[in-house]
Amino acid sequence: MKKIISSLGILSIFIFFTTASYGQCDAGSISDQCIPKLQDGFNFVKSYQIDGAGGSKTKVEYSYVFAKGTQYMINICSEASDTDGIVVSLFNSSRKRVTTSNANGKLFSAIAYPCNATGIYYITFTFEGSAKHCGGAVLGFKR
Amino acid sequence: MNRLFPALVLIVLMACGESKTKSEEQAFLESLDSAESSQPEISEEVISDIMQQIPSPLEISVLLKESGTNYKKDILNSTDNTEKYNSSYKQALNLGIYGTDLGYTNIYEQNQDGLFYLNSIKSLADALNIGQFFDFGTIRKLAANSQNLDSLLLITTLNFNSINHYLQTQDRANLSILLLTGGWLEALHISCQVYKEHPGLELREKIGEQKIIMENILLLLNAVQSSDPNILALSEDLAELKSEFDKIEIIYTYQESTFEEIDGVLVIKDNSTTEINVTEENISSITQVTDKVREKIIS
Repeated sequence: MKKIISSLGILSIFIFFTTASYGQCDAGSISDQCIPKLQDGFNFVKSYQIDGAGGSKTKVEYSYVFAKGTQYMINICSEASDTDGIVVSLFNSSRKRVTTSNANGKLFSAIAYPCNATGIYYITFTFEGSAKHCGGAVLGFKR
Repeated sequence: MNRLFPALVLIVLMACGESKTKSEEQAFLESLDSAESSQPEISEEVISDIMQQIPSPLEISVLLKESGTNYKKDILNSTDNTEKYNSSYKQALNLGIYGTDLGYTNIYEQNQDGLFYLNSIKSLADALNIGQFFDFGTIRKLAANSQNLDSLLLITTLNFNSINHYLQTQDRANLSILLLTGGWLEALHISCQVYKEHPGLELREKIGEQKIIMENILLLLNAVQSSDPNILALSEDLAELKSEFDKIEIIYTYQESTFEEIDGVLVIKDNSTTEINVTEENISSITQVTDKVREKIIS
């Protein structure tokens, strides 16, 4: 019985700290606050929550149908002033990489994608030396 | 200990899940037709993944406006029909349709018509007990001034996104799927009707590329069709539309993209292409079937 009680105590502490550490990432608020970062002329489409669960998740992925003739913009936000190591990459439906925000030796907080080929694209967020593994992003479009 | 662990984890997860407001949830559940209470046949995660791919109907309205075509009120679903929609099946589908119509009126800055659509949306959303997600007061104020177009589009998009998210988290993905289906079908209908008077390559290709969305819509409906005979019938109707889209060929050619930095933004040059082989006959058939399916929904 004592063993069960002590095990339950350890388990409770484990659950408390695990949920507490996940609770630190308010990706919903960050993605909402990211909306004004869309450049003028772009219409808001969606916001994306990027919760790397304290580093235990290596990528967060969404998908969207991009259309030929439309320009899309993705902005990344974090609690810090920069992207906090969050990288966005676009892959086409065959999983071939179209682009990444990790380019020219730096991490861009915004990418503009004038689409020339209609199809399903995967919007993948990964972490490069991120401190909090937590952020948000917004997708907008314009013709 | 091994037996206790999963039970404890389950209790903790259940406790966390109970943070939603019970009254809202209860009111929502009670509002649904009893036939819609079944669970979908594929995982909700997969459904959610497919749903998030469906593009905003606003994209088509923006294309139509920017290509110089005039506003055409008579092709939209009349707001006089609102009172006909008594089942949650019809209410969800037509909420999606009116949502697209509202976006169309907003893009063309037809504020008075927009207010009529807003009233219909309020009526249907209230009937589905999801009216709390629309900030009608703010939307009405924004709609009163055409200077507020960006804010108006933003808030209506956010409200619809919140509804879709809420319905999915409440295990009512079937209503969310109907909402998306209605919204997409109305955008297709508007495109086809405008094409009749203003045929052009860009709009023809835009209609043709809906083949990709059509496949996703049908996947979603097939996933929940056993929950409601109405959804099963709709799936069968849309299968006919899909067979018309199947005649269209989309050829994708991949070529590595290049990029440049402009004002701190990474601007991609997409070197891949798609060739969309779609004929006048294809568009004519798609228009006919779309009209037929839509007529059943809005009548």
